[in-house]
Amino acid sequence: MARLGRSFVATLLLGSLMTTTAFAQGAMSDVGTPRSETLIVQTFDGRSANPTAQNPLNSYAIWRGFRELGWGYLWEMDTATGESYPEMADGFPEVLNEENTQFRIKIRPGITWSDGQPFTTDDIIYSLDTAFKYREQLTNVASVTVYLKSYKKIDDLTFEVETVNPSFDLTTRLGVYTWGTPFNWVPKHIFEPLGDEVVSFQNAPPVTLGPYKVKEFDPNGFWQLWELREDWEKSSWGNLGTPKPKYILYKDFGTEETRALAFVQNQYDIDSFMSPDSIDAAKARNPAIETFSATFPYHDMNDACSYGVYINQQRAPYDMEEVRWALALSLNLSQVGISAMSGQFKAAALPLPDTPITNSIFYEANLQALKDLTIGDGYKPFDAEFSNTLVESLKTQGIDPALLPTGEAIQEGFGAGWWKHDPAEAEKLLASVGIEKGADGFYAMPDGSPWVIEFVIPGDWNKVLQRLGFSIADSWRQAGFNVNARQVDNGEYTTVQNTNARNELQINWSNTCVYNSNWLGNWNQFRESNIKPADSNDPLSGNYARITDPEVLALVDEGSRLPLDDPKFVENGQKIAMEIAQDMQIINLMNIPTTIPTNSTYWTNYPKQDNFYAAPYTWWSSFKKTVVSIEPTGQQ
Amino acid sequence: MGVLRYVAKRIGLYLAVLFIGLTITFMLPRLMPINPVDGYIGQLQSRANGTLTSEAIAEMRTNLEQLYGLNGNVFTQYVSYLKRVVVDFDFGPSFTYYPQPVSAMILNALPWTLGLLLTATFIAWVLGNMVGLVAGYFHKKRAASILEFLGILLYPIPYYILAITLLLLLAYIFPVFPLSPTFPVGQMTPEKLGMIFYNSLLPGITLVLAGFGWNILSMKALAVATTEEPYVTYARLKGASNWTRMMRYVFRNALLPQVTALALSLGMVFNGALLTEMIFSYPGIGLIMRTAATGGDYNVLYGAITLSIIAVATAGLVIDLIYPLLDPRIRHK
Repeated sequence: MARLGRSFVATLLLGSLMTTTAFAQGAMSDVGTPRSETLIVQTFDGRSANPTAQNPLNSYAIWRGFRELGWGYLWEMDTATGESYPEMADGFPEVLNEENTQFRIKIRPGITWSDGQPFTTDDIIYSLDTAFKYREQLTNVASVTVYLKSYKKIDDLTFEVETVNPSFDLTTRLGVYTWGTPFNWVPKHIFEPLGDEVVSFQNAPPVTLGPYKVKEFDPNGFWQLWELREDWEKSSWGNLGTPKPKYILYKDFGTEETRALAFVQNQYDIDSFMSPDSIDAAKARNPAIETFSATFPYHDMNDACSYGVYINQQRAPYDMEEVRWALALSLNLSQVGISAMSGQFKAAALPLPDTPITNSIFYEANLQALKDLTIGDGYKPFDAEFSNTLVESLKTQGIDPALLPTGEAIQEGFGAGWWKHDPAEAEKLLASVGIEKGADGFYAMPDGSPWVIEFVIPGDWNKVLQRLGFSIADSWRQAGFNVNARQVDNGEYTTVQNTNARNELQINWSNTCVYNSNWLGNWNQFRESNIKPADSNDPLSGNYARITDPEVLALVDEGSRLPLDDPKFVENGQKIAMEIAQDMQIINLMNIPTTIPTNSTYWTNYPKQDNFYAAPYTWWSSFKKTVVSIEPTGQQ
Repeated sequence: MGVLRYVAKRIGLYLAVLFIGLTITFMLPRLMPINPVDGYIGQLQSRANGTLTSEAIAEMRTNLEQLYGLNGNVFTQYVSYLKRVVVDFDFGPSFTYYPQPVSAMILNALPWTLGLLLTATFIAWVLGNMVGLVAGYFHKKRAASILEFLGILLYPIPYYILAITLLLLLAYIFPVFPLSPTFPVGQMTPEKLGMIFYNSLLPGITLVLAGFGWNILSMKALAVATTEEPYVTYARLKGASNWTRMMRYVFRNALLPQVTALALSLGMVFNGALLTEMIFSYPGIGLIMRTAATGGDYNVLYGAITLSIIAVATAGLVIDLIYPLLDPRIRHK
């Protein structure tokens, strides 16, 4: 018994020593690598239930470093500027015919896989052959099988492709648009010997193209450790710069509570989606913890998508423009943003985020039109002073004025403007279409029957949108709308999004994702073929905003046949944005706010508001820019 | 003959429970307002940033319905499901993590769940019953009130609060245990086993404390009632010692409902401990089931619920079969 007791105490001491010395003294990470050489990142997707699935031809090998460190792309995107640049390709594609369907692509010589084998067009051709041959069994290949008509090898470093339709966005269809690409290249010498088994091949650990290779991973899905290749200069982005960490550990540190505590203890370097409250608490205990911006709003507002209320315009009474506008004018976004986001949001009136990249292309171009816009009997709904008013409100809420932006920085921080909060005008608009308040104080349908708005919002799986949704519903209720804000799990959320018969109003982001002047990738879904009858139970394959406006559909169709750098193409995008806004087809709300707190104990020079060399997200492929830009502090 | 009839009747009931359970398991996920194909495509869309065209999505939808076996009417799917589960004991691939087989996912996670929860449940049961027995048998003494107070104190604390409190206390303020443990991988060595044991201690202690209170209160109530039984008074008058009366007269008679509770709680262990997994970053089946429920992953739900049904039904069967051994009254009936 005494021996048992001693063993127990010894285990306890050994374990606690291994844990506490590793972190307290900063000597080693808990996976046995020198902490000073290891960048540790909270995983984007939490714990993985199938960490052995590392075959990119099936869906899952995306998170935990694959997209950022493992795979290689023909063209990558500079997320600071929104410009594409060649990564494994040797330059941009050469267009071979007038129809813009045939292209010649060259590969940069000298790239090797992590096992030393050269990367050649044989790998490209094999990947495409496999995608087409097993298109009914592999779940992550449809993006190329519907896009390409044919392809052929010219030599070891040159190949040609022909697309089904004229294509002006080849670099983002076979390369990266914003955060990733839907198709990845696989090593022929590993996959080909498998024959038909390729459809169920797990590929763990994988042979990779990036400068890092998988050193170890947890079969329980909590962590994955990447190690810098000795020959990293021959990797897919070996020409980008010197990757600084020798090891990169992606780990799920658990619940928000444990993450905040572990962050305070310097157990990891970059978090994702920690709540502003937890960040405040962690910052108060550890000065090395920093938010994205030093001034209000503290968090990153440069995501590629924006949040909006998507309205099913195919269903009455939302098919009436007056009703949609009434909803927008009854929504007190300032109050919603303060109560749900502590004022940390950037308003966006057009159906796309307002970022330093999109602002000059879409917002500046439409600003006067927004100011001049009239609805109803000549009412001007746009409030260009929204941000200034918000700043004044925040001051009255007790925010230290020294922390708030001033001058031009106000609009850079809080947006170029939004819609006025004017429930009286909303009431007039509704009255013009026969909708008036009943005895219960809520608006009723024109025939007098009760009108209950079904507003679908995410449950706990997206707490920001959940809070935002409840706050919006509250704002509408105050204005006299009877709203049922129904929170659903992510599975049901997608089903509601895709099914006309079940969709009324939904808070969403999937059709308001435009990162640069190339609006086609996302808005190309606004097509006649993606419109189904209002009562249809068949799932939609796009156009979840249910855009039916013929003018928008025509602009999209015309734009899809124009080169991306044609001024007419950009102009069409600007018109689409304005057309959707002026008919209030989507009540766009704000840029997606993302909290990316960092800990500068071991590493510095993370991307920040005043040092924006790349989007700060650890789960975008552009994280590679961070990996080559951060610097060790020398803390051991 | 009586024994054989008893056993046959219980086994018949067991099989009927399994059949009904499997049928309900098949129907339940289909009543959820979730389409697993849409869920999978939604994930892919999110990862590909909308560059998935409508044509690509349509092609994926057709292929996934085929791969998931969601074509055909519900009856055809039901027959195919029963054949697969009953004859082959194969739950097919996970929808959310296609093409990962459900059996592999469950087999990987189950040993962690069972190892922690079975051990913690059993320890909580033994300790709780011992403390409850002493508190009940000596219920007129002050020490017994203190023991009962312990039970009353622990039982109503919500598990989440208890877990967070212990985590804060023992991993942050006094960092004896890791906040977010890293379980070693690769070939097992004594040192790695030691680390697994050490990393499991904090969730284990929390589970024991959480289960401890109910066992104390329950056993104490039973022991108080049993102590007042005439046969215990008779034993005291006969000169039996306190220990003998407590263990042989009170404990044995108070034990039966507690054994039932233990068997049922062991069966429920198969449901996993989602909160434990989330709070302590502990591997197990809870998270897999949660993801399956929210994503409409029918096959994973079938696998996990079927195992749970088998576990609970088997626990019930085992109780039925061993009751006669524990309780002569049933044996003689």
